[in-house]
Formats: sequence, structure tokens, C-alpha cells
Amino acid sequence: MSSFEIVLFKYKDFWLMGLKYTMLITVLSILIGIVLGLLFAIMRIYGNKFFKAVAVSYIDLIRGTPMIVQLFILYYGLGSTGLVKFTPLQAAIIGMGLNSGAYQAEYFRTAFLAIPTGQTEAALSLGFTRTGLIFNILLPQVVRIVLPSWTNELIALTQYSSLAMVLTVMELTAVSKYVGSKTFLYIQAFSLAGIIYLFVSVVLTRLMVYFENRLSIPGVSAQKLRI
Amino acid sequence: MKEVLRVENLKKSYHKNEVLKGVSFSINEGETKVIIGPSGGGKSTLLYCINYLQKPDSGEIYLDSELITPKNIYEARKKIGFVFQYFNLFMHLTALDNVMIGLIKVKKLPKDEALKIAKESLLLVGIKEDLWNHYPAQLSGGQQQRVAIARAIAMSPRIILFDEPTSALDVELIGEVLQAMKTLAENGMTMLIVTHELEFAKSVAHEIMFLESGVIVEKGTPQEIIEHPKSERLKKFLSKIAKGEE
Repeated sequence: MSSFEIVLFKYKDFWLMGLKYTMLITVLSILIGIVLGLLFAIMRIYGNKFFKAVAVSYIDLIRGTPMIVQLFILYYGLGSTGLVKFTPLQAAIIGMGLNSGAYQAEYFRTAFLAIPTGQTEAALSLGFTRTGLIFNILLPQVVRIVLPSWTNELIALTQYSSLAMVLTVMELTAVSKYVGSKTFLYIQAFSLAGIIYLFVSVVLTRLMVYFENRLSIPGVSAQKLRI
Repeated sequence: MKEVLRVENLKKSYHKNEVLKGVSFSINEGETKVIIGPSGGGKSTLLYCINYLQKPDSGEIYLDSELITPKNIYEARKKIGFVFQYFNLFMHLTALDNVMIGLIKVKKLPKDEALKIAKESLLLVGIKEDLWNHYPAQLSGGQQQRVAIARAIAMSPRIILFDEPTSALDVELIGEVLQAMKTLAENGMTMLIVTHELEFAKSVAHEIMFLESGVIVEKGTPQEIIEHPKSERLKKFLSKIAKGEE
């Protein structure tokens, strides 16, 4: 057995567990981020002064502080007050979801603003309410415009999910550190983690390009990409 | 004849610039009225104020004798069609879906009924079946504008407002749009049209209004306005149009 094989096969279950947590954190946090991002973008564009201020403050606060500080506050900070006690995994998912929401709010906002105002006027002139306008006319186009940004966010979150290890979540990076310490094959263990991250990111990117092409509409989406 | 739309003393300013300085007129059922006038004279603003896409500062607008207010505006808009200078089709929807979406989402019609109305509306403006599944970006300007007209008439509005419907089109595409509008006029649709197409105005308008600097300077039959203008300002405007300067 080569040293690489030892690292891989002897600790196969650990790697699978790490991959599972990494994907779980990534996928759930981006979903939370989509919901929050959409909400804050709509508040910021269409809301009254109060909602606008709430959205802007949230976006500024999250984007202006490091994610690791946010995770510490959520897990250790809140935990120490005894008010809410999240598990490490919960804290990681919630923290990264809240974080992603702020960035996605800005992706959504620019996508909304990219749609010519004439379509808003046309929808209103047909008798659409503001809500009807947003959900029936704007959102289907916003989703198509925002897809490339989502790809970006998805692979960024895949890498950032490694921060969950500071909350003791056994995701990929934590696993690689553990395997390294057990075998003293650190370079192999960390390289393997890197390869898995790379593989996951490339697969996710291709998957998103597939969706971009599937959903592409002349005049709304960018030109079709070749995978 | 039954009055469809009445505008009374409508005023609108942007910052300190008074664009509409008290405009009044009315349109009866089946009438076509045309508004002409120089750029910046308030023509588009007038149309946008009628269905509150721009909020008027003061004045009253009555649709079928009912005062339009911010409260009933969503109901009123269903009955006021609007055709825009730049078509403003929904880019993510096919020609057919552009016409159907208002019927389904706003009027809450069942899908088969909406489909039937949409097809009829598209055929009326000369958009044949082979184009129904095209997206706006795959259509010419003239085709897009005719789909936009179909979208407006499908809602069976009481009146349709046209904001320079041909001014964004290449010369060779103008005819097909004017032809579609002529068909509507012949079918008895009530229409208020802002346009520079004087020949077209002559052939369909019951009345032409000359709007300049926010006031209706002169109004009358096409004959009176185009052949025998009274005011100096209208004469000057018409000669400019003849020279192709407006």
C-alpha cells in the first residue's frame, strides 16, 4: 500500500463523513442564503424607508465582519449566554446561511436592476400588483440572470465550509487534519482534501452551467456556454 | 355617445418644470383621438398620468364616469390598455405567453380560455402561428410591437393608449404596425394615440389635439388641424414635421 492509499482507504469512512458534512453545510447554507438574499434584495429595492434601512444594515454588518467572527458569536458567544445552544453543525449552517444571504442580496439586487423598467411599466399597465409583478414577471428573469453568481457563491461556500472545523464539525478539512495526525502523512492527507474540494467544485460548476443552458432564453440569459 | 375617458385640468411637474399645465379633454366610445406636438411638450407624460404610471399632481381622470384614484387604480388599469414606444414585452415569455399572462394572472381566466383569446388577438394584429412560440428577442421590432398591441387588446380594455408606437421602428416596419392599429380603429376600439405619423392620423383620427408646452393649443378634425392650422405654433410645428425635423 502506498502512503496515499493508506490515507484514503484506511480512513475511507472518515472521508465520506467529511464530504457529507461539507456538502450538507454548503447546500443548506446556500438555500438559507437564497431565501434571505431574495428577501433583503426585495426589501432594499421595493421596501419603504424602514425596510430599506434594515436590509442595508444587515448587508453592511455581515459583509463588514469576518465569517469566522460571525461563527464564533453564533456558537461560542450565544452558547455562553445560555440563551440558545446550537450544535456545531447547526451553528455552521445557520452562520454561513446568514452570511451568504447578505452577499446574495446584492446578487439579486443587481439582477432585479438589470431588467429594463419598461417591463415593470408594462406589467403595471396590465393591472399587475407589485407582488404579482415581482413573482410573475421579474423573478423568472432574475433567476436566469443570477445563475452565474450562484455558481460563484456555491463554490465559494464549498471552500468556506472548511471554517466549520473551528466549531469542531468533522467536515473535510477537519477530517484531513485528523487523518494527518493519526498517520503523520500530512501532505498526503491535506492534498487529498484539496483534490476532493477541487472535484466537488468542478462538478458543481459544470452542473450549474448545465442549468444555465437549460434555462437560457434569448434576450434574457447570456449566450449558451459549452461545458 | 357614451363617454369612456375624461381628463380634467391635469397638472404634472418634475421638480420645478411644469410639464402639464392643466389639460382637459374627453373621448367617447369608438373614437380615435391623436395627440401631436413637439418633443418635451408633455405628450408621453399625459399618457403615463392617465393610468398613474406617473402620479398626476392635480386634476381628475374619469374612466366610464368613475374617478380614478390610487385606491382603484389596479382595477382601472385592467381597462386601460397601454402600448409603449419600446414595446416592453416580457423577455422571458414567448409571444403567445406575453399575451396570455395578463389574462391568467390578472384576470384569472382559465388557461384554455386565455389561450383562445390570445390566439385571436395575435391573429387580429397579423401575428401568425409560426411566430407564437418565438421569444421577443427573436422577433423584429414591428412584430414585437404588434405582439404588444395584442397583449393590450387581449385584456378587452375600454380604451388603449399608444405612446409613439412607431417611433422606435425602422421605416419599413412602421406600416405593419399602423395597419394593425387601423384594424383596431375599424373594429370600434377607443384609442388615444401619440404619434408623429400625420398621414395615419388623417386617416383614422376623429380629432387631433396639438399639445405644446403642457397645454392643448388647438384641437379639431384632421382636416382643420393639418390642412388649416390656426395658431402660429401649430403652423410652425407642421412645417417642421414636413421637413423631417420633428
